[in-house]
Amino acid sequence: MGVKLLLEKAHIPGIRTYEVYRREGGYRSVEKALQSMTPEAIVEEVKKSGLRGRGGAGFPAGMKWSFIAKPEGVPRHLVCNADESEPGTFKDRYLMEFLPHLLIEGLIVASFALGSNNTYIYIRGEYAWIVDILETAINEAKANGWLGENILNSGFDCNIHVQRGAGAYICGEETALIESLEGKRGNPRIKPPFPAIKGLWQRPTVVNNVETLAAVVPIINIGGDEYAKIGVGRSTGTKLISACGNINKPGVYEIDMTVSVEEFIYSDEYCGGIANGKRLKACIPGGSSVPILPANLLLKTAKGETRYMNYESLSDGGFATGSMMGSGGFIILDEDQCIVKNTYTLARFYRHESCGQCSPCREGTGWMEKLLLRLEKGEGKMSDIDLLWDIQRKIEGNTICPLGDAAAWPVAAAIRHFRDEFEWHVTHAQEAQTRNFGLAHYADPIHVPVTA
Amino acid sequence: MSEQQLFKVTIDNITIEVPAGTTVLQAARSIGGDVAPPAMCFYSKLEGSGGKCRTCLVEVSKGSEKDPRPMPKLVASCRTTVMDGMEVKNITSPKVKDARAGVVEFLLLNHPLDCPICDQAGECHLQDLGYEHGKEGTRYEFQRRTFKKYDLGQYIQLHMTRCILCYRCVFTADQLTEKREHGVLDRGDHAQIATFIEKNLHNDFIGNVIDVCPVGALTDKTFRFKNRVWFLKPLDAHRDCPTCSGRVTLWNRGDEVFRVTARKDEWGEIEDTPDGKTGWICNTCRFEKKKTSDWMIEGPRNVNRHSVISQGHYVGLQKPQETIEKVLDGRQPKLLMDIHNISDVNKPSVELSAINGAATSSVFNK
Ligand SMILES: Cc1cc2nc3c(=O)[nH]c(=O)nc-3n(C[C@H](O)[C@H](O)[C@H](O)COP(=O)(O)O)c2cc1C
Ligand code: SF4
Ligand code: SF4
Ligand code: FES
Repeated sequence: MGVKLLLEKAHIPGIRTYEVYRREGGYRSVEKALQSMTPEAIVEEVKKSGLRGRGGAGFPAGMKWSFIAKPEGVPRHLVCNADESEPGTFKDRYLMEFLPHLLIEGLIVASFALGSNNTYIYIRGEYAWIVDILETAINEAKANGWLGENILNSGFDCNIHVQRGAGAYICGEETALIESLEGKRGNPRIKPPFPAIKGLWQRPTVVNNVETLAAVVPIINIGGDEYAKIGVGRSTGTKLISACGNINKPGVYEIDMTVSVEEFIYSDEYCGGIANGKRLKACIPGGSSVPILPANLLLKTAKGETRYMNYESLSDGGFATGSMMGSGGFIILDEDQCIVKNTYTLARFYRHESCGQCSPCREGTGWMEKLLLRLEKGEGKMSDIDLLWDIQRKIEGNTICPLGDAAAWPVAAAIRHFRDEFEWHVTHAQEAQTRNFGLAHYADPIHVPVTA
Repeated sequence: MSEQQLFKVTIDNITIEVPAGTTVLQAARSIGGDVAPPAMCFYSKLEGSGGKCRTCLVEVSKGSEKDPRPMPKLVASCRTTVMDGMEVKNITSPKVKDARAGVVEFLLLNHPLDCPICDQAGECHLQDLGYEHGKEGTRYEFQRRTFKKYDLGQYIQLHMTRCILCYRCVFTADQLTEKREHGVLDRGDHAQIATFIEKNLHNDFIGNVIDVCPVGALTDKTFRFKNRVWFLKPLDAHRDCPTCSGRVTLWNRGDEVFRVTARKDEWGEIEDTPDGKTGWICNTCRFEKKKTSDWMIEGPRNVNRHSVISQGHYVGLQKPQETIEKVLDGRQPKLLMDIHNISDVNKPSVELSAINGAATSSVFNK
């Protein structure tokens, strides 16, 4: 059993209520932080912990906090990103649903560290029932003196507001989220200025993911140094992984990042192997935006080393032979899955969710979707594959926000690793309508050249 | 005010000094010519505009004197401010050319290409962009997106199918009018400019959205299908207007005023008035004053644009340097023969209608 810092108490009956949560040691980190630490000391502790943002980009949280501007007389804000709309990612939902007070606790400490008197949780609109859970928890916390004015006689005031989104994936992008929170159309802003300088209502703002903010609680409780000892390298602490697809035990798992990908998929503690006795074909290890990997590159790196479930190892080999940790949405595809169809499904999603501000993403995503649909239906041409490659290349890096990249990467990776399956959809168009390409050679060991 | 700080910036190997805070695009425009990147969404008179179309992408090969690292991605020159010692590559960068050709293809992907029936043709920035930075042909083999046409009130027609979602009209309405009544609905390639509930834009200054629109998506209904812009003669004119500066460009054919627009500079942006304000014009000037007698005509307007609109206006005409005298080595041209004296073709004594058959020399030699 690995270390559990976040979900350890998730299944204690009644943990959602304040009494049980407090009895189990909840809100200790608020007491410690507000009564014995300065905001700077908290930021320092988070820096020491090596905690990286859990929203997708993996940016060091302590560093982000230290960037926040502190102009005289201007309020600052902390915003919790609970928009969680990436296909395959559902860890924040689990955390908020089972342990609402853990998030509130983390938010209070982080708000104190950043000097945010009004902190916002921007939550995915479809998570309507969780809004009620969070608001109940906020009211309980307030009734018990953890929120409101002069918390624990520290002189610090803090209120937390929950705001529902209206159903747009793009509002998870931090600047689109801020626009939406301000009541505007959720278009990402052009950076600079960054939110740390001008964010919500042009005030200095930090946007962090739910899991990032919840992780502040154990960091304060055990100390940044202790936290950093868990995990490996720059992948410190624990990470929530939402595993789904063709596995026996889909669900949310907390791992310390020393588990190998193979162990994560096949051990009974985690995914419990591929469902229905099928074989593993491919995996999207970090949510729909990250590159897909064939089985052979998933379990071992191109150098033939074991791949682990952490930031460095998952991205080993760059985009040529690696992928990304992303937001921890771990999607497994078995031998019966069609990569062309899967890529089409993702392209359709990104086309639908593009905000439409910049031309490459607005037009390119629709074009890729149409080409992929044509290929999938067996009506494509060989040149469509090269065209897709050229389109994704012209989107990537040329857009305002990373959604453009997120739309380009899955297409690029699918063609990079599964080109023969795409070609088969052209050369065997009829057959492709009746059966899948299957596992083919995608699990074959990769020849690693021996260098003297 | 204290002395403006000047930054040195090199664009396509040309070094200039510009005040701190200048954008790369504005710096490049001050050099002019091909060094200035095309800009479809940025509009210097509209706060917050730019960054969207991505046609103005450039490569920053050196960040600044202090931090010489190149920028990892191409940046939108309209929204990037210069740093001291910055080095920028526009047309000297193959990466920029490649990305820009991509952007042009994207912008034209769903465009109807109905230039032959579009009022904007001849002064359309998308046409210019296509000619200058695009490729012939398209690789798009699907049905193009279409929208229904809408009348936005009595003066303006919205032809969304041609829109490139530059947001300029939205910023204009936001910044120029009391209450914006239109905006962007929906997302992605199904996003559209639309009005909220009422399909009517009321405001004295709303007509300016026609001038800022780089394409033919917003057109002047009082001018629709009346004439091709290149057949019209642009004239600077003014009138004493209680609402706006009254400084306009008239587009005439003969004495007839076909349309009235604001005065635009070489980048297609509305010029400032002498008091330094942007020369937005009101709806009355634009739509209601269609008689020459309504205006004080100042003179012809030189339209400095690349496309067919300047055709026939002889802008930059190169006159031959040599005179006849020079060609003739200083001799004056001499009349050698007056054809009218020698030929009797024009003999009035011959009644043409009386000629039976063809009029040949034999008739006149009689
Ligand atoms: C299109 C798009 C969608 C995103 N959606 C989310 C999301 O749902 N939740 C989230 O935490 N971060 C999301 N992000 C990342 C945020 O922009 C931001 O990086 C993150 O909230 C920062 O938090 P962290 O530093 O704690 O990871 C998204 C980014 C993009 C480009
Ligand atoms: S990349 Fe896509 S989602 Fe992001 S700003 Fe541009 S159009 Fe919008
Ligand atoms: S209607 Fe014209 S000005 Fe408005 S967004 Fe479209 S192209 Fe731009
Ligand atoms: S002009 Fe710069 S992005 Fe459109």
